[in-house]
Amino acid sequence: MSKSRLKTIKDLAPLRNSLIKEREKLRATIVICGGTGCQASRSLAVIDEVKKQLAKHKLKKSVNVRTTGCHGFCEQGPVMVIEPDEIFYCHVSPDDAAEIVTKTIRDGEIIERLLYTDPVSGKTIKTESEIPFYLAQDRYLLAQNRQVNPCSIEDYIAIGGYSALAKTLFELPPESVVKEIVNSELRGRGGGGFPTGRKWAECREAPGDEKYVICNADEGDPGAYMDRCVLEGNPHLVLEGMMIGAWAVGARKGYVYVRNEYPLAVKHIQLAVEQARKLGILGENIFGSPFSFDVDIARGGGAFVCGESTALMASLEGKVGEPRPKDVHTVVDGLWHKPTTLNNVETWANVPSIIKNGSSWFASKGAKGSKGTKILALTGHIKNTGLVEVEMGKSINDVVFGIGGGATNGKAIKAVQTGGPSGGCLPVEKFDLPVDFDALADAGSMVGSGGMVVMDESTCMVDVAKYFLTFLQDESCGKCVPCRLGIDRMLEIVTEISEGRGTSDHIELLEDLGDTMSTTSLCGLGKTAANPVLSTLRYFRDEYETHINEKKCPAGVCQALITYIIDEEKCTCCGLCKRACPHNAIAGKKKQVHSIDVDLCQKCGICMSECKFDAIQIQ
Amino acid sequence: MTQEVTVNIDGAFIRAPKGSTVLDAALGAGICIPHLCRVPYLEDIGACRLCIVEHIENGRSKITTSCTLLVQEGMRILSNTDRIRKLRRNIAELLVTEAPNSRAIQDIALRCGVVETRYPFRNSDCVLCGRCVRACTGHFGEKAIGFVGRGKDRRVESPFNLYSELCNECGRCIDLCPMTIVPCDGNMKPGEGRLCGNCESKMLTEEAAQGYCIGCYMGDGFQCERSITNTL
Amino acid sequence: MPSPTITTLLEGHRSQPHQLIEALQDVQKHYGYISEDSMRSISDELGVSLMEVYSVASFYKAFSLQPRGKNIIAVCTGTACHVRGAKMVLNQAISQIGAEPGEISKDGLFTIEHVNCLGACALGPVVTENESVHHHMDPGKLRKLIKSLKKGDKEGASHV
Repeated sequence: MSKSRLKTIKDLAPLRNSLIKEREKLRATIVICGGTGCQASRSLAVIDEVKKQLAKHKLKKSVNVRTTGCHGFCEQGPVMVIEPDEIFYCHVSPDDAAEIVTKTIRDGEIIERLLYTDPVSGKTIKTESEIPFYLAQDRYLLAQNRQVNPCSIEDYIAIGGYSALAKTLFELPPESVVKEIVNSELRGRGGGGFPTGRKWAECREAPGDEKYVICNADEGDPGAYMDRCVLEGNPHLVLEGMMIGAWAVGARKGYVYVRNEYPLAVKHIQLAVEQARKLGILGENIFGSPFSFDVDIARGGGAFVCGESTALMASLEGKVGEPRPKDVHTVVDGLWHKPTTLNNVETWANVPSIIKNGSSWFASKGAKGSKGTKILALTGHIKNTGLVEVEMGKSINDVVFGIGGGATNGKAIKAVQTGGPSGGCLPVEKFDLPVDFDALADAGSMVGSGGMVVMDESTCMVDVAKYFLTFLQDESCGKCVPCRLGIDRMLEIVTEISEGRGTSDHIELLEDLGDTMSTTSLCGLGKTAANPVLSTLRYFRDEYETHINEKKCPAGVCQALITYIIDEEKCTCCGLCKRACPHNAIAGKKKQVHSIDVDLCQKCGICMSECKFDAIQIQ
Repeated sequence: MTQEVTVNIDGAFIRAPKGSTVLDAALGAGICIPHLCRVPYLEDIGACRLCIVEHIENGRSKITTSCTLLVQEGMRILSNTDRIRKLRRNIAELLVTEAPNSRAIQDIALRCGVVETRYPFRNSDCVLCGRCVRACTGHFGEKAIGFVGRGKDRRVESPFNLYSELCNECGRCIDLCPMTIVPCDGNMKPGEGRLCGNCESKMLTEEAAQGYCIGCYMGDGFQCERSITNTL
Repeated sequence: MPSPTITTLLEGHRSQPHQLIEALQDVQKHYGYISEDSMRSISDELGVSLMEVYSVASFYKAFSLQPRGKNIIAVCTGTACHVRGAKMVLNQAISQIGAEPGEISKDGLFTIEHVNCLGACALGPVVTENESVHHHMDPGKLRKLIKSLKKGDKEGASHV
């Protein structure tokens, strides 16, 4: 495989063709997910073992082992796909490696026990594309994760990578690129949903020679990891998007600002940049064109507010991440006061395919006002948690039940929280709403960055509001009054309610304060901080009222309002709980039903997790 | 000769230098938009949010802070609509329940229409308006104090919370601090739900301020362009 | 006099005030926390006021201004982990170790941190202990994990 610089555009195609030929020579490729989720389930050990077994059976040369980024079906990890037949094995352990190599690779047999079993039909499924979880999705971006090893620029080129950039530099003047993006109706995928084309157009027109493009990879929404998976699994896709954008707006320098808590993503994008530089895809006169561009990687310092564009830019400048007023847009006055185009990872990732396939191809997918696909992080109380990609406009029902597989633990699903701390909670009755920027915003939530947490009846919505307020209180920069003091007072009130000291005036006060925060806060964090409270008040008012009027927590979560008790009929007097209790709150002699002393009980929950007979309950 | 533009604030056509803010233009014309973090010779940061106004453009109203909005020819601004008054009142309520024993903040609260308060009083000795920090960080300052921490923990401190060797004791921070300007006469305690009104009764009357102040009750230290020379 | 180590560490950032955050990250990685002396060195080397260094170091969560314990136990408190009971796991850690998040336990062995989403949401509640990731945690399992770490014995720490 040629590793020398690509001096002109003519060098790209031959390189690609030679890489494709190499791939075709292989007998098989074993694809193993090396994303953070599967790594936690020891997929790296699986990879090592597979490589050992291949060497042992002298198959190393004809079988490639490809470590990739996230495949999305995290519940089933470690996940393995064997190409070219697309055989899908799940929950693979290192001990399975020997059998996989001899039976499947060498002898062409399927190992039934490693196949995915469809919980509905009870049958096993052989290939990835037949699995309902994947079948129900529209995987345009995520599908690439399986095809590339993120640490290999050759893999990316082999599947057609950087051809969109080549087309751009030699066939599309900057204005045409802007026009294509405008026509595609691509909207920002980081939460704002701002029309990308309009942003690029404004930046292009802004006066100045020095301009910047920034990739916002400061994915701070808890429960969201879409950007991490794209950046970890396919960093070159993001780079290519940024380069096309830089050409369009007239920038020669770009930054990728990665959240501090994503070390693997930082590693992969840094490696991608180095590899691109070596091949001449970053640097001076790319592919022999007049376009010169380079990228620096910056790491965040651990601040959710740095996901806000002006705070991110302040952070890049080495300052505290305090947002500043945006009476003048950042596309005119941004990083170092120069025109700057800042876009989210997923937004950049969509750009190459728009250039390659055309704006009408992109606009043909999705719904009115929300074109294309969106990657969602589907988590919480459902069977199939993981990363999914759907055409915008699919209903929440489709996602939660069609892809998510419905409730786990046999409890009824109550709500879905979308859009992270800036979003809101929607009740089951609203699940027919489409995943669409405007529809969800009208309903009091938002698509946001794509986080979707499913909650069942064991979740207390007052507690959810409290949770998000606690998070935001920690993350607010503290500069402006409505956000800093507003969140503080809201949390004070919601805490009172959760501890049984709520009054009937509180609800009106929360709504009034929420309106003030939404209208007068300086930045997006403050403006959306009230959403979790306002949306839960809108749809789950009865829960608040029960906490206030009856001093009860229907879901059994708010500690001040619940008691742990031992069910006399189920207790087997085994004494496990008594021994486990760190506060000596459980009494009971041998063969005697045990009981919990309410005064000593700290409600830590250890007894409940220890009891094997389900005898400890919450009242 | 600086260029001037004409802006319309609350129906009045006002000439203002290009590059100045809507708040400066308003104050210069005697329209006293309440404010806290603004100090004439320091950078405007839009932190307190009290100076919000409605900016009418293309038939739509956008609410923004007048201290960060630069004047433009033909701009239309409304500073005292019902909506603005209600929002301002809520912001002032948050401030005064945080620091009820500051005379200056009480003045602002009264000016903004706060009488009954809906949050329990706390007794903070700092509302993080940033005046002291900006005075110490700007051209005149030694950078001896600054903002430290974030969110609930945000506070003003010198490095390592030790007396800074950089401080040259110019006293500007104390002069500007809303907590120390004319200390409160009353003594509201945490738990009280209503401003005691002692200071209100000592407000400058319109006759006494003839030719100077138009009687907007901002209190010493918060002069608009027409200085109040009387002290109480 | 700044120690030779820190001067070498900061060499790449000399006279570049906008590299303040990178410089702090290097110091944090090397020393485990940012000391007063480190801040003074950074201020000198980069040409940033000491106040600015202190402001920035105290703003970002990645920087610890206090020394931390030998074992860093990070409990994920992201939304998905929260609805699966992460708060109880965190409370267990705090009560067992006897120190609030960010503080060092009396025996110097532990510091708890809470992290907003590690991106392993399907496996929550998630706890990381130094480099290892443990999933599907509950207060009971964490109690055992911390006990075994105390003993210096890692057998009980393999994830279930």
